Amino acid sequence: MSETRRASPLHAARAPVAAAYACALLTAALSFEHPLALFAVAVAIVGAGVLAGAGRSLARAALFGVPFAVMIALVNPLVAREGLNVVLRLGEIGPLGQLDVTRESLVFGAILGLRALLVVLAGGALLAATVNADELLRRFRRISVRSALTAALAVRLVPVLGRDARRLADARRCRADASERPGAAERLQIVRAVVTGAMDRALDVAATLEVRGYAMPAAAGRGRWPRQPWSRHDIAFGASAVALLVLAGGAHLLGIATFHAYPRTVAPVGAGEWLLAVALVVVALLPFADRRGIVP
Amino acid sequence: MWDKRRSVAVALCAVAVAGCGTGPGASPKEDVGLTVTRDFGHSQVLALDRAQVRGADTVMRVLQRNAMVGTRFGGDFVQEINGVKGGRRAGRPVDWFFYVNGIQADKGATAVDVHGGDRLWWDHHDWGVTPDIPAAVGSFPEPFLHGIDGKRLPVRVECDDPRAGACGAVADKLIALGVPAGRSSLSRSAADESLRVLVGTWQRLRGRDAESDSIDEGPRSSGVYARFDKAGTQLNVLDARGRVAKSLGAGTGFVAATRARDRQPVWFVTGTDEAGVQSAARAFDESVLSNRFALAISNDLPVSVPLSEVP
Repeated sequence: MSETRRASPLHAARAPVAAAYACALLTAALSFEHPLALFAVAVAIVGAGVLAGAGRSLARAALFGVPFAVMIALVNPLVAREGLNVVLRLGEIGPLGQLDVTRESLVFGAILGLRALLVVLAGGALLAATVNADELLRRFRRISVRSALTAALAVRLVPVLGRDARRLADARRCRADASERPGAAERLQIVRAVVTGAMDRALDVAATLEVRGYAMPAAAGRGRWPRQPWSRHDIAFGASAVALLVLAGGAHLLGIATFHAYPRTVAPVGAGEWLLAVALVVVALLPFADRRGIVP
Repeated sequence: MWDKRRSVAVALCAVAVAGCGTGPGASPKEDVGLTVTRDFGHSQVLALDRAQVRGADTVMRVLQRNAMVGTRFGGDFVQEINGVKGGRRAGRPVDWFFYVNGIQADKGATAVDVHGGDRLWWDHHDWGVTPDIPAAVGSFPEPFLHGIDGKRLPVRVECDDPRAGACGAVADKLIALGVPAGRSSLSRSAADESLRVLVGTWQRLRGRDAESDSIDEGPRSSGVYARFDKAGTQLNVLDARGRVAKSLGAGTGFVAATRARDRQPVWFVTGTDEAGVQSAARAFDESVLSNRFALAISNDLPVSVPLSEVP
């Protein structure tokens, strides 16, 4: 999963701003447990993905995220010993002891599952599909050259290792004694070969970088990334990210959208909660309204 | 076909026997009592004769229905009740402990079922000396009336002298409460499934079984914060830190309970002498024993054991 350049206001924003926007949505998803607020964040994330033309990426991520979320939702009632309203008594189950499934643990399990799904969608799919990793790392270079370089190499190493593994697996299949599906020992051989190759290649890359002056102090070796003025998309998505964080923090300070899972589920739904939900959606999606200069 | 039906029936029976089912289950027919205290019962936080119970509740759920509870470790451990927190106090470890019918469970509160008539007792106390107090007398007339884990057990009053007034007083008190208590002289039996009440002077009771030995060994072994001297003529009452706080001489009575591993609890109605045993027998009453882990009687005045520390 990687960024594909699309005609959308989010893609028009610079990478750090787009990343901050996705991270703000992620933070909002993690900061709320109230179902209404989480639902609003879900609408915001899915809406942002669709409006940014990354709906398919989100759908693909959901294929992984939904089973993950369902697993969390099912496991929580089995491990949580809290909640007052028993819906299912499973008796004594080995090391788990007496197992009573409560309504509260089911509800909280569903909320934890939804949060996990939103983290996958915002932190994985939306971020990966709308943020140019190269640009982000180039910007990050200003703060820490070595870290940016390490991150850039690591990002590139994953597909390279994947290709190496496929090549080695193909080569192995050409052998006369090879079986159709590799066993555990054969897989281990491939992994060992790939890792050894990666180590050798890393040494080569390090030597090349050193020769090109990457080990020298910044002022001596390299030029600066040219400063670009902030576009209206940068400002809009930057302001949206800040507003999302302020809404999340403000709601906690003002006691809006509070949620208690145990012993009884308490999730008050009043004017404050509705206002917060609407504000989260509007603030997150408003920057997409400005499509001037966005050519499909 | 028949085999399949029979298999399904057997499976359903197994599920039912294992305590499975939908919904909260059947509520207990008798009221459940809930007491919350601090410092070995010295101060009361909450006392409910009819606690709210719904279905086949556990001890934890009954507590949560009736008090403000904070938990840790996934809800298995009670950290706070009505604002009183566990942790450390003046450098000493303090936490919440629970007793069902005066008996400490070997499982967590989320795993112990509540039965009709049970008396649940939560106490917040210093456990620097020992976290294990296997039995306490403060839920009297439990465990005699409703037993352990919903099962009523036979009760036997074993006396040094079965014809003595103290022996008769203890047995009569139990019978008056509706507990059919058998009376016999002191035995050295392993007590199997009986709840035993041993009545007599400590000189006569000590060394007869594991329970009396554990009381002589001290609170780390028995959970009882008092020890008789070698002659059995003086009772040293300890404080929560295990220090001797008061020494009581002739005429001192003592009511305590303890439990040896894999055995049923044993109660002691004893004293430094016959007069002390008589005092203890008179104190064998709910109004005197309530919320006490053990009780000494000196000059006919009750002394809670362990003794409260003067701040």
